[in-house]
Amino acid sequence: MLVTFASPARPPRTPAQVYRQTLWLLTTRDLRVRYSTSALGYLWSVLDPLVMAGIYWFVFTQIFDRSVGQEPYIVFLLAGLLPWVWFTGAVSDSTRAFIKDAKLVRSTRLPRSVWIGRIVLAKGIEFVLSIPVIALFAIIMGAPLTWGVLWLPLAILLQAVLIVGIGLIVAPLVVFFRDLERAVKLILRFLFYASPIIYGLADLPDGLELWGSFNPLAGIITLYRASFFPELLDLRAVVIAAIMSLVLLGIGVLVFRRTVRAVLKEI
Amino acid sequence: MIETSSPSPVITVSGAGIRFRRNRRGRRSFKDLFAGAKRRSLPNEFWPLRRIDVTVHAGESIGVVGRNGQGKSTLLKLVAGVMLPDEGRVEVHGGVAPLIEITGGFVDDLTVRENLTLTAGLHGMTRAEIDARFDEMIDFAELADFIDTPYKHLSSGMKVRLAFSVISRLEEPILLVDEVLAVGDKGFREKCYARIDELLAGGRTLFFVSHNERDLKRFCTRGLYLDKGALVLDAPIDEVLAAYNRDYGSTP
Repeated sequence: MLVTFASPARPPRTPAQVYRQTLWLLTTRDLRVRYSTSALGYLWSVLDPLVMAGIYWFVFTQIFDRSVGQEPYIVFLLAGLLPWVWFTGAVSDSTRAFIKDAKLVRSTRLPRSVWIGRIVLAKGIEFVLSIPVIALFAIIMGAPLTWGVLWLPLAILLQAVLIVGIGLIVAPLVVFFRDLERAVKLILRFLFYASPIIYGLADLPDGLELWGSFNPLAGIITLYRASFFPELLDLRAVVIAAIMSLVLLGIGVLVFRRTVRAVLKEI
Repeated sequence: MIETSSPSPVITVSGAGIRFRRNRRGRRSFKDLFAGAKRRSLPNEFWPLRRIDVTVHAGESIGVVGRNGQGKSTLLKLVAGVMLPDEGRVEVHGGVAPLIEITGGFVDDLTVRENLTLTAGLHGMTRAEIDARFDEMIDFAELADFIDTPYKHLSSGMKVRLAFSVISRLEEPILLVDEVLAVGDKGFREKCYARIDELLAGGRTLFFVSHNERDLKRFCTRGLYLDKGALVLDAPIDEVLAAYNRDYGSTP
Protein backbone atom coordinates (compact mmCIF):
# COMPACT_ATOMS: atom_id res chain seq x y z
CA MET A 1 0.00 0.00 0.00
CA LEU A 2 1.20 3.42 -0.89
CA VAL A 3 1.97 5.48 2.13
CA THR A 4 1.52 9.19 1.68
CA PHE A 5 3.14 11.30 4.28
CA ALA A 6 2.02 14.62 5.59
CA SER A 7 2.49 17.46 3.17
CA PRO A 8 6.09 18.60 3.31
CA ALA A 9 6.48 20.38 6.60
CA ARG A 10 7.81 23.89 6.87
CA PRO A 11 11.49 24.03 7.64
CA PRO A 12 11.72 23.12 11.32
CA ARG A 13 12.10 26.14 13.52
CA THR A 14 14.68 26.37 16.23
CA PRO A 15 13.50 26.47 19.84
CA ALA A 16 14.69 30.07 20.02
CA GLN A 17 12.46 31.05 17.12
CA VAL A 18 9.49 29.29 18.66
CA TYR A 19 10.18 31.02 21.96
CA ARG A 20 10.43 34.43 20.36
CA GLN A 21 7.23 33.98 18.38
CA THR A 22 5.21 32.76 21.36
CA LEU A 23 6.59 35.43 23.64
CA TRP A 24 5.67 38.11 21.17
CA LEU A 25 2.19 36.70 20.50
CA LEU A 26 1.33 36.50 24.18
CA THR A 27 2.77 39.91 24.96
CA THR A 28 0.87 41.65 22.20
CA ARG A 29 -2.23 39.73 23.26
CA ASP A 30 -1.90 41.09 26.80
CA LEU A 31 -1.43 44.63 25.59
CA ARG A 32 -4.24 44.34 23.06
CA VAL A 33 -6.66 43.02 25.67
CA ARG A 34 -5.71 45.83 28.02
CA TYR A 35 -6.18 48.55 25.42
CA SER A 36 -9.23 47.10 23.70
CA THR A 37 -11.24 47.00 26.91
CA SER A 38 -10.44 50.42 28.28
CA ALA A 39 -11.23 53.80 26.83
CA LEU A 40 -8.12 55.52 28.15
CA GLY A 41 -5.84 52.70 27.05
CA TYR A 42 -2.24 53.87 27.04
CA LEU A 43 -3.00 56.69 29.46
CA TRP A 44 -3.53 54.20 32.27
CA SER A 45 0.06 53.02 32.22
CA VAL A 46 1.12 56.66 32.65
CA LEU A 47 -1.64 57.79 34.97
CA ASP A 48 -0.73 55.47 37.82
CA PRO A 49 2.86 56.68 38.31
CA LEU A 50 1.78 60.23 37.54
CA VAL A 51 -0.81 60.35 40.31
CA MET A 52 1.59 58.73 42.75
CA ALA A 53 4.32 61.19 41.81
CA GLY A 54 1.86 64.05 42.23
CA ILE A 55 0.91 62.90 45.73
CA TYR A 56 4.50 62.45 46.90
CA TRP A 57 5.56 65.71 45.32
CA PHE A 58 2.77 67.52 47.18
CA VAL A 59 3.46 65.82 50.49
CA PHE A 60 7.20 66.23 50.42
CA THR A 61 7.55 69.67 48.92
CA GLN A 62 4.38 71.49 49.98
CA ILE A 63 3.60 69.97 53.40
CA PHE A 64 6.92 68.71 54.72
CA ASP A 65 10.24 70.31 54.07
CA ARG A 66 11.95 67.98 51.75
CA SER A 67 15.40 67.01 52.96
CA VAL A 68 15.92 64.04 50.67
CA GLY A 69 16.34 63.60 46.94
CA GLN A 70 17.33 66.20 44.41
CA GLU A 71 15.95 69.23 42.70
CA PRO A 72 13.72 69.11 40.64
CA TYR A 73 12.11 66.62 42.96
CA ILE A 74 9.33 65.61 40.57
CA VAL A 75 11.91 64.40 38.02
CA PHE A 76 13.86 62.64 40.76
CA LEU A 77 10.64 60.98 41.91
CA LEU A 78 9.48 59.87 38.48
CA ALA A 79 12.89 58.37 37.69
CA GLY A 80 12.28 56.00 40.60
CA LEU A 81 8.52 55.60 40.31
CA LEU A 82 8.26 54.58 36.66
CA PRO A 83 10.67 51.62 37.04
CA TRP A 84 8.92 50.75 40.30
CA VAL A 85 5.57 50.53 38.50
CA TRP A 86 7.16 48.07 36.05
CA PHE A 87 8.63 46.07 38.92
CA THR A 88 5.56 45.91 41.10
CA GLY A 89 3.18 45.32 38.18
CA ALA A 90 5.21 42.44 36.79
CA VAL A 91 5.88 40.80 40.15
CA SER A 92 2.27 40.97 41.31
CA ASP A 93 1.02 39.77 37.90
CA SER A 94 3.42 36.85 37.98
CA THR A 95 1.60 35.51 41.03
CA ARG A 96 -1.25 34.79 38.62
CA ALA A 97 0.91 33.79 35.65
CA PHE A 98 -0.30 30.18 35.54
CA ILE A 99 -3.69 30.57 37.19
CA LYS A 100 -4.97 33.21 34.80
CA ASP A 101 -4.10 31.22 31.69
CA ALA A 102 -4.61 27.77 33.17
CA LYS A 103 -6.63 26.55 30.21
CA LEU A 104 -4.01 27.62 27.72
CA VAL A 105 -1.21 26.14 29.80
CA ARG A 106 -3.16 22.89 29.92
CA SER A 107 -3.74 22.69 26.19
CA THR A 108 -0.52 23.86 24.53
CA ARG A 109 3.03 22.67 24.59
CA LEU A 110 4.70 26.04 24.88
CA PRO A 111 7.98 26.60 26.66
CA ARG A 112 6.59 27.18 30.15
CA SER A 113 8.83 30.06 31.15
CA VAL A 114 7.06 32.05 28.44
CA TRP A 115 4.22 32.61 30.92
CA ILE A 116 6.54 34.73 33.01
CA GLY A 117 8.49 36.24 30.16
CA ARG A 118 5.40 37.64 28.55
CA ILE A 119 4.40 39.48 31.75
CA VAL A 120 7.84 41.01 32.14
CA LEU A 121 7.89 42.04 28.49
CA ALA A 122 4.36 43.48 28.42
CA LYS A 123 4.98 45.55 31.55
CA GLY A 124 8.41 46.50 30.21
CA ILE A 125 6.88 47.84 27.02
CA GLU A 126 4.45 49.91 29.06
CA PHE A 127 7.41 51.21 31.05
CA VAL A 128 9.27 52.22 27.90
CA LEU A 129 6.13 53.91 26.63
CA SER A 130 5.93 55.92 29.85
CA ILE A 131 9.45 57.35 29.45
CA PRO A 132 8.14 60.39 27.47
CA VAL A 133 6.36 61.50 30.65
CA ILE A 134 9.60 61.97 32.53
CA ALA A 135 11.15 63.63 29.49
CA LEU A 136 8.26 66.08 29.47
CA PHE A 137 8.72 66.96 33.14
CA ALA A 138 12.46 67.26 32.69
CA ILE A 139 11.90 69.84 29.95
CA ILE A 140 9.28 71.75 31.96
CA MET A 141 11.37 71.77 35.15
CA GLY A 142 14.62 72.41 33.34
CA ALA A 143 16.51 69.29 34.35
CA PRO A 144 19.22 68.81 31.72
CA LEU A 145 19.79 65.36 30.29
CA THR A 146 23.36 64.21 30.94
CA TRP A 147 25.73 61.58 29.54
CA GLY A 148 24.32 59.37 32.30
CA VAL A 149 21.47 58.45 29.97
CA LEU A 150 23.91 55.94 28.46
CA TRP A 151 23.28 53.81 31.56
CA LEU A 152 19.62 53.43 30.64
CA PRO A 153 19.97 50.20 28.58
CA LEU A 154 21.94 48.56 31.40
CA ALA A 155 19.28 49.64 33.90
CA ILE A 156 16.51 48.13 31.79
CA LEU A 157 18.47 44.91 31.24
CA LEU A 158 19.26 44.48 34.95
CA GLN A 159 15.69 45.16 35.94
CA ALA A 160 14.40 42.64 33.38
CA VAL A 161 16.80 39.99 34.71
CA LEU A 162 15.69 40.75 38.26
CA ILE A 163 11.98 40.54 37.50
CA VAL A 164 12.28 37.36 35.43
CA GLY A 165 14.20 35.77 38.31
CA ILE A 166 11.60 36.74 40.88
CA GLY A 167 8.77 35.72 38.55
CA LEU A 168 10.28 32.28 38.02
CA ILE A 169 10.33 31.78 41.78
CA VAL A 170 6.94 33.25 42.60
CA ALA A 171 4.77 31.97 39.73
CA PRO A 172 5.11 28.21 40.32
CA LEU A 173 5.11 28.47 44.12
CA VAL A 174 1.83 30.41 44.17
CA VAL A 175 0.16 27.44 42.48
CA PHE A 176 0.84 25.38 45.61
CA PHE A 177 0.80 28.03 48.28
CA ARG A 178 -2.01 30.43 47.47
CA ASP A 179 -1.17 32.49 50.56
CA LEU A 180 1.92 33.60 48.73
CA GLU A 181 -0.21 35.79 46.52
CA ARG A 182 -1.17 37.99 49.44
CA ALA A 183 2.26 37.75 50.99
CA VAL A 184 3.77 39.10 47.77
CA LYS A 185 1.42 42.09 47.84
CA LEU A 186 2.47 42.85 51.39
CA ILE A 187 6.16 42.47 50.60
CA LEU A 188 5.79 44.77 47.60
CA ARG A 189 4.22 47.47 49.75
CA PHE A 190 7.08 47.15 52.22
CA LEU A 191 9.62 47.16 49.42
CA PHE A 192 8.27 50.42 48.04
CA TYR A 193 9.39 52.27 51.14
CA ALA A 194 12.48 50.12 51.59
CA SER A 195 13.71 51.04 48.14
CA PRO A 196 15.20 54.43 47.30
CA ILE A 197 12.22 55.72 45.33
CA ILE A 198 10.95 58.71 47.27
CA TYR A 199 14.45 59.22 48.65
CA GLY A 200 17.92 58.47 47.33
CA LEU A 201 20.30 55.74 48.41
CA ALA A 202 22.66 58.37 49.75
CA ASP A 203 19.92 59.70 52.06
CA LEU A 204 20.00 56.51 54.12
CA PRO A 205 21.76 56.84 57.48
CA ASP A 206 25.43 55.79 57.44
CA GLY A 207 25.75 52.06 57.83
CA LEU A 208 22.34 51.38 56.36
CA GLU A 209 23.55 52.47 52.94
CA LEU A 210 25.51 49.26 52.33
CA TRP A 211 22.63 47.11 53.52
CA GLY A 212 20.25 49.09 51.39
CA SER A 213 22.39 48.26 48.37
CA PHE A 214 21.55 44.59 48.76
CA ASN A 215 18.10 45.50 47.57
CA PRO A 216 18.84 45.20 43.83
CA LEU A 217 16.32 47.94 43.09
CA ALA A 218 18.63 50.44 44.81
CA GLY A 219 21.45 50.04 42.30
CA ILE A 220 19.06 49.83 39.39
CA ILE A 221 17.31 53.07 40.35
CA THR A 222 20.60 54.94 40.67
CA LEU A 223 21.28 53.83 37.09
CA TYR A 224 17.97 55.28 35.96
CA ARG A 225 18.55 58.50 37.87
CA ALA A 226 21.99 58.88 36.32
CA SER A 227 20.21 60.28 33.25
CA PHE A 228 19.49 63.49 35.17
CA PHE A 229 21.53 63.16 38.35
CA PRO A 230 24.85 61.53 37.40
CA GLU A 231 26.31 62.42 40.81
CA LEU A 232 23.86 59.95 42.41
CA LEU A 233 25.31 57.01 40.50
CA ASP A 234 26.62 54.51 43.05
CA LEU A 235 28.76 51.95 41.26
CA ARG A 236 29.09 49.74 44.31
CA ALA A 237 25.31 49.51 44.52
CA VAL A 238 25.12 48.79 40.79
CA VAL A 239 27.59 45.91 41.05
CA ILE A 240 25.71 44.48 44.02
CA ALA A 241 22.41 44.87 42.13
CA ALA A 242 23.84 43.03 39.12
CA ILE A 243 25.09 40.16 41.29
CA MET A 244 21.83 39.96 43.23
CA SER A 245 19.78 39.98 40.04
CA LEU A 246 21.82 37.20 38.48
CA VAL A 247 21.68 35.14 41.67
CA LEU A 248 17.91 35.54 41.81
CA LEU A 249 17.66 34.54 38.16
CA GLY A 250 19.74 31.44 38.91
CA ILE A 251 17.54 30.50 41.86
CA GLY A 252 14.49 31.20 39.73
CA VAL A 253 15.63 28.85 36.97
CA LEU A 254 16.30 26.09 39.52
CA VAL A 255 12.99 26.51 41.33
CA PHE A 256 11.11 26.67 38.06
CA ARG A 257 12.73 23.54 36.62
CA ARG A 258 12.10 21.63 39.79
CA THR A 259 8.45 22.56 40.17
CA VAL A 260 7.10 22.83 36.63
CA ARG A 261 6.11 19.15 36.48
CA ALA A 262 3.96 19.51 39.56
CA VAL A 263 2.55 22.83 38.34
CA LEU A 264 1.23 21.19 35.18
CA LYS A 265 -0.62 18.62 37.26
CA GLU A 266 -2.02 21.10 39.71
CA ILE A 267 -3.56 23.73 37.46
CA MET B 1 -2.14 -2.15 6.76
CA ILE B 2 -0.11 -0.89 9.68
CA GLU B 3 3.07 0.64 8.39
CA THR B 4 5.60 -1.49 10.14
CA SER B 5 8.09 -0.54 7.47
CA SER B 6 8.46 3.02 8.79
CA PRO B 7 12.09 3.58 9.62
CA SER B 8 11.65 5.25 13.00
CA PRO B 9 8.65 5.61 15.30
CA VAL B 10 6.97 9.00 15.67
CA ILE B 11 5.85 8.38 19.24
CA THR B 12 7.77 6.30 21.75
CA VAL B 13 6.34 5.88 25.22
CA SER B 14 8.67 3.80 27.36
CA GLY B 15 7.93 2.89 30.95
CA ALA B 16 6.01 6.11 31.39
CA GLY B 17 4.08 6.81 34.55
CA ILE B 18 2.58 9.82 36.23
CA ARG B 19 1.73 10.34 39.85
CA PHE B 20 -1.11 12.35 41.33
CA ARG B 21 -2.13 13.26 44.81
CA ARG B 22 -5.31 11.69 45.97
CA ASN B 23 -6.54 14.70 47.87
CA ARG B 24 -5.96 17.87 45.94
CA ARG B 25 -6.16 20.04 48.99
CA GLY B 26 -3.61 18.00 50.83
CA ARG B 27 -0.87 19.86 52.59
CA ARG B 28 2.24 20.33 50.61
CA SER B 29 5.60 20.94 52.09
CA PHE B 30 8.55 22.52 50.40
CA LYS B 31 10.47 19.30 50.84
CA ASP B 32 7.77 17.38 49.04
CA LEU B 33 7.73 19.85 46.18
CA PHE B 34 11.44 19.88 45.53
CA ALA B 35 12.05 16.20 46.08
CA GLY B 36 12.12 15.57 42.35
CA ALA B 37 10.80 12.61 40.42
CA LYS B 38 12.79 9.82 42.00
CA ARG B 39 11.44 9.69 45.53
CA ARG B 40 9.17 6.86 46.61
CA SER B 41 5.41 7.32 46.46
CA LEU B 42 3.60 8.49 49.52
CA PRO B 43 0.49 6.73 50.79
CA ASN B 44 -1.83 9.50 49.61
CA GLU B 45 -0.64 9.30 46.04
CA PHE B 46 -1.72 7.14 43.16
CA TRP B 47 -0.57 6.42 39.65
CA PRO B 48 -3.24 6.99 37.02
CA LEU B 49 -0.75 5.55 34.54
CA ARG B 50 2.26 3.41 35.15
CA ARG B 51 4.73 1.38 33.11
CA ILE B 52 3.17 2.23 29.78
CA ASP B 53 5.07 1.14 26.67
CA VAL B 54 3.74 2.14 23.28
CA THR B 55 5.51 2.65 19.98
CA VAL B 56 3.65 4.40 17.20
CA HIS B 57 4.78 4.65 13.60
CA ALA B 58 3.86 7.33 11.11
CA GLY B 59 0.42 6.94 9.60
CA GLU B 60 -1.02 4.69 12.31
CA SER B 61 -4.40 5.55 13.76
CA ILE B 62 -4.81 4.53 17.34
CA GLY B 63 -7.94 4.40 19.44
CA VAL B 64 -7.64 4.52 23.21
CA VAL B 65 -10.30 2.54 25.06
CA GLY B 66 -11.08 2.26 28.74
CA ARG B 67 -13.55 3.16 31.43
CA ASN B 68 -13.68 6.65 32.87
CA GLY B 69 -10.69 7.51 34.99
CA GLN B 70 -8.39 4.81 33.66
CA GLY B 71 -5.86 7.28 32.29
CA LYS B 72 -6.94 7.73 28.68
CA SER B 73 -6.84 11.49 28.67
CA THR B 74 -3.72 11.53 30.78
CA LEU B 75 -1.96 9.40 28.18
CA LEU B 76 -3.06 11.83 25.51
CA LYS B 77 -1.75 14.75 27.55
CA LEU B 78 1.60 13.05 27.98
CA VAL B 79 1.85 12.59 24.23
CA ALA B 80 0.76 16.19 23.69
CA GLY B 81 3.52 17.30 26.03
CA VAL B 82 1.18 19.30 28.23
CA MET B 83 2.03 17.01 31.13
CA LEU B 84 5.40 15.52 31.93
CA PRO B 85 5.86 11.93 33.11
CA ASP B 86 7.21 11.29 36.62
CA GLU B 87 9.01 8.19 35.45
CA GLY B 88 9.88 6.75 32.08
CA ARG B 89 10.00 8.71 28.85
CA VAL B 90 7.66 10.03 26.22
CA GLU B 91 9.33 10.96 22.96
CA VAL B 92 7.43 12.59 20.15
CA HIS B 93 9.08 13.31 16.84
CA GLY B 94 7.23 15.91 14.88
CA GLY B 95 4.62 18.47 15.67
CA VAL B 96 1.36 17.71 17.42
CA ALA B 97 -2.07 19.16 16.71
CA PRO B 98 -3.90 18.64 20.01
CA LEU B 99 -7.69 18.70 19.99
CA ILE B 100 -7.66 18.84 23.79
CA GLU B 101 -9.53 21.57 25.65
CA ILE B 102 -9.54 23.25 22.30
CA THR B 103 -11.37 26.42 23.23
CA GLY B 104 -8.95 27.04 26.09
CA GLY B 105 -6.68 29.43 24.28
CA PHE B 106 -9.29 31.93 23.22
CA VAL B 107 -9.65 35.32 24.82
CA ASP B 108 -13.15 36.65 25.43
CA ASP B 109 -12.40 40.27 24.69
CA LEU B 110 -10.62 39.78 21.40
CA THR B 111 -12.36 39.36 18.06
CA VAL B 112 -12.62 36.15 16.08
CA ARG B 113 -9.89 37.36 13.75
CA GLU B 114 -7.50 38.21 16.60
CA ASN B 115 -8.24 34.96 18.39
CA LEU B 116 -7.66 32.90 15.29
CA THR B 117 -4.33 34.56 14.58
CA LEU B 118 -3.27 34.18 18.20
CA THR B 119 -4.22 30.53 18.60
CA ALA B 120 -2.79 29.48 15.26
CA GLY B 121 0.43 31.29 16.14
CA LEU B 122 0.65 29.70 19.59
CA HIS B 123 0.32 26.30 17.98
CA GLY B 124 3.24 27.07 15.73
CA MET B 125 1.83 28.46 12.49
CA THR B 126 3.89 31.20 10.95
CA ARG B 127 2.44 34.55 9.99
CA ALA B 128 2.51 33.70 6.28
CA GLU B 129 0.77 30.36 6.86
CA ILE B 130 -1.94 32.03 8.91
CA ASP B 131 -2.56 34.60 6.18
CA ALA B 132 -2.66 31.90 3.51
CA ARG B 133 -5.11 29.69 5.40
CA PHE B 134 -7.17 32.40 7.09
CA ASP B 135 -10.14 32.37 4.70
CA GLU B 136 -10.19 28.61 4.60
CA MET B 137 -10.29 28.35 8.39
CA ILE B 138 -13.06 30.94 8.64
CA ASP B 139 -15.07 29.17 5.93
CA PHE B 140 -14.68 25.83 7.63
CA ALA B 141 -15.88 27.30 10.93
CA GLU B 142 -18.77 29.00 9.08
CA LEU B 143 -17.96 32.28 10.77
CA ALA B 144 -17.51 34.54 7.76
CA ASP B 145 -20.08 37.00 9.12
CA PHE B 146 -18.50 37.16 12.56
CA ILE B 147 -14.86 37.91 11.82
CA ASP B 148 -14.83 41.09 13.86
CA THR B 149 -17.22 39.94 16.57
CA PRO B 150 -15.76 39.65 20.07
CA TYR B 151 -15.24 35.99 20.90
CA LYS B 152 -17.44 36.18 23.99
CA HIS B 153 -20.49 36.88 21.83
CA LEU B 154 -20.19 33.61 19.93
CA SER B 155 -22.40 30.67 20.80
CA SER B 156 -20.66 27.68 22.33
CA GLY B 157 -21.13 25.75 19.08
CA MET B 158 -19.41 28.51 17.14
CA LYS B 159 -16.53 28.51 19.61
CA VAL B 160 -15.92 24.81 19.11
CA ARG B 161 -16.17 25.23 15.34
CA LEU B 162 -13.56 27.95 15.37
CA ALA B 163 -11.26 25.89 17.55
CA PHE B 164 -11.57 22.73 15.51
CA SER B 165 -11.05 24.64 12.33
CA VAL B 166 -7.76 26.12 13.55
CA ILE B 167 -6.30 23.01 15.14
CA SER B 168 -7.22 20.72 12.25
CA ARG B 169 -5.47 23.13 9.87
CA LEU B 170 -2.15 23.03 11.70
CA GLU B 171 -0.69 20.54 9.19
CA GLU B 172 1.17 18.79 11.96
CA PRO B 173 2.01 15.12 11.42
CA ILE B 174 0.31 13.95 14.63
CA LEU B 175 -3.32 14.59 15.52
CA LEU B 176 -4.64 14.06 19.05
CA VAL B 177 -8.40 13.95 19.54
CA ASP B 178 -10.03 13.82 22.97
CA GLU B 179 -13.81 13.44 22.75
CA VAL B 180 -14.21 16.94 21.39
CA LEU B 181 -16.42 15.70 18.62
CA ALA B 182 -19.23 14.99 21.05
CA VAL B 183 -20.14 18.67 20.86
CA GLY B 184 -21.44 20.59 17.90
CA ASP B 185 -24.43 19.80 15.73
CA LYS B 186 -24.69 16.79 13.49
CA GLY B 187 -23.82 18.64 10.31
CA PHE B 188 -20.63 20.05 11.73
CA ARG B 189 -19.69 16.72 13.29
CA GLU B 190 -19.88 15.14 9.86
CA LYS B 191 -17.63 17.86 8.54
CA CYS B 192 -15.13 17.21 11.31
CA TYR B 193 -15.17 13.50 10.57
CA ALA B 194 -14.61 14.18 6.89
CA ARG B 195 -11.69 16.42 7.82
CA ILE B 196 -10.15 13.73 10.03
CA ASP B 197 -10.58 11.19 7.22
CA GLU B 198 -8.81 13.59 4.90
CA LEU B 199 -5.94 14.03 7.35
CA LEU B 200 -5.62 10.27 7.80
CA ALA B 201 -5.55 9.78 4.05
CA GLY B 202 -2.75 12.35 3.98
CA GLY B 203 -0.65 10.08 6.19
CA ARG B 204 -1.21 11.75 9.56
CA THR B 205 -0.85 9.79 12.76
CA LEU B 206 -4.00 9.80 14.88
CA PHE B 207 -4.39 9.30 18.61
CA PHE B 208 -8.09 9.10 19.39
CA VAL B 209 -9.85 8.88 22.74
CA SER B 210 -13.54 8.06 22.61
CA HIS B 211 -16.33 6.09 24.17
CA ASN B 212 -18.06 5.75 20.84
CA GLU B 213 -17.46 2.33 19.31
CA ARG B 214 -18.59 3.44 15.87
CA ASP B 215 -16.14 6.32 15.76
CA LEU B 216 -13.32 4.14 17.00
CA LYS B 217 -14.01 1.57 14.30
CA ARG B 218 -14.32 4.24 11.67
CA PHE B 219 -10.98 5.95 12.29
CA CYS B 220 -8.72 3.52 14.06
CA THR B 221 -6.83 0.44 13.04
CA ARG B 222 -5.05 -0.21 16.29
CA GLY B 223 -6.42 -0.06 19.81
CA LEU B 224 -4.95 0.52 23.25
CA TYR B 225 -6.97 -0.75 26.19
CA LEU B 226 -6.18 0.98 29.45
CA ASP B 227 -7.43 -0.39 32.74
CA LYS B 228 -6.42 0.55 36.29
CA GLY B 229 -3.53 2.62 35.03
CA ALA B 230 -1.96 -0.13 33.00
CA LEU B 231 -1.96 -0.97 29.33
CA VAL B 232 -3.75 -4.32 29.25
CA LEU B 233 -4.03 -4.84 25.51
CA ASP B 234 -2.37 -3.37 22.44
CA ALA B 235 -3.94 -5.00 19.39
CA PRO B 236 -6.07 -4.31 16.30
CA ILE B 237 -9.05 -2.17 17.25
CA ASP B 238 -11.65 -4.94 16.78
CA GLU B 239 -9.86 -7.22 19.22
CA VAL B 240 -9.46 -4.42 21.72
CA LEU B 241 -13.14 -3.49 21.55
CA ALA B 242 -14.10 -7.15 21.92
CA ALA B 243 -11.92 -7.52 25.00
CA TYR B 244 -13.30 -4.34 26.49
CA ASN B 245 -16.90 -5.43 25.91
CA ARG B 246 -16.12 -8.82 27.39
CA ASP B 247 -14.72 -7.23 30.55
CA TYR B 248 -17.37 -4.63 31.08
CA GLY B 249 -20.27 -6.11 29.18
CA SER B 250 -21.40 -2.94 27.47
CA THR B 251 -20.57 -0.85 24.49
CA PRO B 252 -17.68 1.48 25.19
